[in-house]
Amino acid sequence: MPMGATAATPAELAGAKSGRAGRRVAVSGAGAVSGFGWGVEPLWQGLCAGATAIRPFSRFDHRSHRTHVAAEVPPPPQGSVPVAGRSAGGRRSASDRSGRQLSLADRFALAAAGEAAAAAGLDAALPGLPEGAGGVFFGSSTGGMWEGEGFVAELFGGRRGALHAIASQQVNGPGDAVARRYGFTGPVETVSSACASGALAIGAALAALRAGEVEVALAGGADSLCQLTYGGFNSLRAVDEEPCRPFRAGRAGMSIGEGAAVLVLEPLERVLARGARPLAELAGAGSACDAFHMTAPEPEGAGAAAAIAAALEDAGIEPADVDFVNAHATGTQLNDDAEWRALERIFGERARRLPVTATKAGVGHLLGCSGAIEALVTVLSLARGELHPVPAAADAIDGSCPAALVTGRPLALPAARAALSTSLAFGGSNAALIFRRWTGPSP
Amino acid sequence: MVITALGTAGAHGCGRAGLARALAAGMPPPATEVDRSGGFHRAGGAGRALLTPIAALVPWVPPAEARRMGPPSRLAVAAARMALADCGSNPALLAGPGTAVVLSTAFGPTSFSEALLRQILLDSPEAASPYLFTESVANAPAAQIAIACGARGANVTLCQREAGPLLAVGRGAAEVAAGRAERALVGAVDEMSPLLHAMLDRFGALARPREIARPFDRRRAGVVAADGATVLLLETAAAAARDGRQPLARVRGWGSAFDPSAPPTGWGRGSEALGRALRRLLARCGVQDIQEIDRIASGASGSRAGDRLEAQVLRAAWGAAALPPVLAPKGVTGEYGGGFLAAAVLAAAGVDGVAAAPTAGFDAPDPELGVSPHDGTPLPPLRALLASSLAAGGAAAWLVLGPP
Repeated sequence: MPMGATAATPAELAGAKSGRAGRRVAVSGAGAVSGFGWGVEPLWQGLCAGATAIRPFSRFDHRSHRTHVAAEVPPPPQGSVPVAGRSAGGRRSASDRSGRQLSLADRFALAAAGEAAAAAGLDAALPGLPEGAGGVFFGSSTGGMWEGEGFVAELFGGRRGALHAIASQQVNGPGDAVARRYGFTGPVETVSSACASGALAIGAALAALRAGEVEVALAGGADSLCQLTYGGFNSLRAVDEEPCRPFRAGRAGMSIGEGAAVLVLEPLERVLARGARPLAELAGAGSACDAFHMTAPEPEGAGAAAAIAAALEDAGIEPADVDFVNAHATGTQLNDDAEWRALERIFGERARRLPVTATKAGVGHLLGCSGAIEALVTVLSLARGELHPVPAAADAIDGSCPAALVTGRPLALPAARAALSTSLAFGGSNAALIFRRWTGPSP
Repeated sequence: MVITALGTAGAHGCGRAGLARALAAGMPPPATEVDRSGGFHRAGGAGRALLTPIAALVPWVPPAEARRMGPPSRLAVAAARMALADCGSNPALLAGPGTAVVLSTAFGPTSFSEALLRQILLDSPEAASPYLFTESVANAPAAQIAIACGARGANVTLCQREAGPLLAVGRGAAEVAAGRAERALVGAVDEMSPLLHAMLDRFGALARPREIARPFDRRRAGVVAADGATVLLLETAAAAARDGRQPLARVRGWGSAFDPSAPPTGWGRGSEALGRALRRLLARCGVQDIQEIDRIASGASGSRAGDRLEAQVLRAAWGAAALPPVLAPKGVTGEYGGGFLAAAVLAAAGVDGVAAAPTAGFDAPDPELGVSPHDGTPLPPLRALLASSLAAGGAAAWLVLGPP
């Protein structure tokens, strides 16, 4: 299939039904922005320390809200955020001219993409990719809603508001901004399926790479803390007043976070050909819907289990090949119960012994980006051979969902073969990703 | 891969017959005055939109069910049920893990988001309604379709502005072609709240002062905003034949591209690159001779910059060859709400009269564009139709349809 193709036909995709039949896809770079800071290392260090970034925050006045903690991204290191870079040809890029239209979520996305591209050794090469060879697959729930809220507050107050504030509100803003920055001319697709968005976007990138639609995909997500989601989840009484405690007996809800996560995905042979070492393989993706309720998961976990089963089949592996799980694990009663049922359906009795980690306890729920940042942490866990512990070690595990939660200190798993990352969203949209540890040669 | 059913709700009413009549007449349905009482609109700005008569939805989504849905969810569920009725199938067809749902929305549920923000920002965060929040998420319509139909396959919502509807068809077709789903409900939904309408007007996107969309016309001055929903049923030709569903059109391929020179809310200058991307798509669809494409359903909407880029991309793709007849149905359907997608499918299906009317809103060619839309001359039987949709912000999507 020619490089630069930007389309698919039914016949081409029929050949990509199984991961075993399609091209192998590698993760060659990763970048993140989270409540722990700007970059992958602050994220990993914070998680492995068993810390949480969920704390009182300053984005907006939350005194009249029901709860008062969130995992807010700290200010960036001075001069570190690539907002107004110049294109390779030295001409001002569209993103330069429209820099004031960049939302906070856009800036998170650009920073994460920049780090991921540099980690893959592709920062200079991406703008020069052949036409159509680069694609962006992004997830976001609210895009620039934070800026949009400022605009509508002005309107509600009888003032006109600055149009660039509402222009930056578009959900497709973060993914588009990344595509503009690298001059990508291939497919750009933003998924907005609530908390499964990031995982669904990574799954879409996998399909596009296997089908030869693109040669390099920047896949991930971005969302920023805003009053709409903070107040909205509180209206559901779904937010804990303390940092969230997934799978714990005393859990009382989720915690909101913000940030971005981006993976550089490429055909494995492309990564190896330039002498780079993959961080991991993206082996499979699956999705399914509960078709049950707008906010409550199907209590027996059937939809989530179907997504996991589809991902395993897509990866061509058995449940016994999975050595740990990065769970969706929001910390709400209903989600954790349903997710546990799904894990039991797939892994049977072994579910009680399978190590589980819950990244949201550290960085909060990044909503449309949660599947992306948890996929990134899964990749890091495989590459570095250890799982981060889940904070709140003093709280007992809930007997109704007795996951083998990693607590206290990181769990060394240097020989882990494959890992599962799950996402369970509003509206019953479930997604699962399977990553394999890279065991091939180092360059 | 074939399209075997089409459900659509819009200013034309419910079902494809009303839209087909409007297209055949070359006249948009009557526009509705938008509620300007919120004070968001500027003086002298656009005041009308093509809005779905809400009462027409009641037979499809009864009040007892609609009370738990926001406006986009009502539109989407109604369109899904119309699609099911369109192919005469039992609702059990859609129930189960074999049915995926892929919808696009340009702006999401804006009226509920606005109402929720009013509560949070003006009243108190504690006044926020969980019902409003639940239906303020972009994927609420797709989720409600899944719940209403029991569709337990992949459930995906895409947000890519005007390119979204064709992207959704491609994504759904990919699910079926790869064997991840047996069938897919795909389409688009958007509401047109007064606040969104006012914002589009403030950006200069809406046609004024006469509020007529004039695709490709020298006097074009903007789009006419619309709400609505369109849902298609996609499945393999074998499944359709097995169950006796008559295809409306065959999906030969799909593709997308991006113009990085575009600003976030406008159109860029990358017509040559987009034209080359379109040529690559056509080649991969097995279109050896570009003249095999014997009509184009263009997403031209009356936007000055958008129509200019659309014309440039088509001319770049066709090169020295003459363009085939270019249909511009947004003169009838308006922009957003999935009407364009429905019109493109009806044109491919050869529905009587759909391509046999002069293009609504078009009077005088724009010499700068070099493209004049179809004049209503009867067309020969379809060989292949290209649907084209360029989005503000840089995205582009195309779909190639053939006769069943």
